Amino acid sequence: MSGNPGDDRDVLIEALAGAYRARGPLGEVRTHPAFHDLDEAGRAEAFELARRQRVMEAALDPEGLSTTARAVLTRIRGG
Amino acid sequence: MLDLDVHLPAIAAGDADAFGRWIAGAEGRVRESLRPYATRVDTEAVLQETLLRVWQVAPRHVADGRPNSLVRLAIRIGRNLCIDDLRRARLAPVEDEDLDETRLETFEPRAPDPLLRKVIAHCHEKLPDKPAEVLRARLASGGAEPDETLAERLGMRINTFLQNFTRARKMLAECLEKHHVDLEAELR
Repeated sequence: MSGNPGDDRDVLIEALAGAYRARGPLGEVRTHPAFHDLDEAGRAEAFELARRQRVMEAALDPEGLSTTARAVLTRIRGG
Repeated sequence: MLDLDVHLPAIAAGDADAFGRWIAGAEGRVRESLRPYATRVDTEAVLQETLLRVWQVAPRHVADGRPNSLVRLAIRIGRNLCIDDLRRARLAPVEDEDLDETRLETFEPRAPDPLLRKVIAHCHEKLPDKPAEVLRARLASGGAEPDETLAERLGMRINTFLQNFTRARKMLAECLEKHHVDLEAELR
């Protein structure tokens, strides 16, 4: 992704910590590609990031919803 | 004790707004229950699939009389999805304290802290332009669009987008610390 392997790792962790997930042909939620490019420590770091990030997102949302919640509700409402 | 099952009748009747209120209270606990699997499966994907399945089964769910029965059901669904993923990938099972069902009884959802919301909003306003822009883009998209699409819309390369997101996150954390907010304590 970039010249510095450390930067690449950080970018992958940030990507994995995001809420967007593609859908499979049967509508199933797919694993993020960055998950496969990270080692166990990177995946654990992404888990912690996501955990904190969702709390911040919910605090900034008028209905107290994180992007995970928004993604699921969009799906339920047919988005 | 706050019992999120108060939303159950409306959820069962197909009220997505009520389901949103239930998720707002339950998401943290259900996510936390997936921690033992976080190095082996994509827990964000499992969490979203879990929430979708909870929505599907809610009309048939019968509360067992104890508080937060739907949260306990969600934790079981999430765990089973993780175990299925591990089996499919032929990976060894993991240690999971939530397999002890009695631990699930200790869950106490908390109402959102208005002061925390206020401080986070204040720190968000203080972010420089680019980090604020990428954070806003992810929030506005609500997990519905890939980062690549958001980056393109903002005229950024994907790496720049994600690096700006890291900056935004770190600056928010520093600002919260300055205001004596311990986010980790809020998550416990």
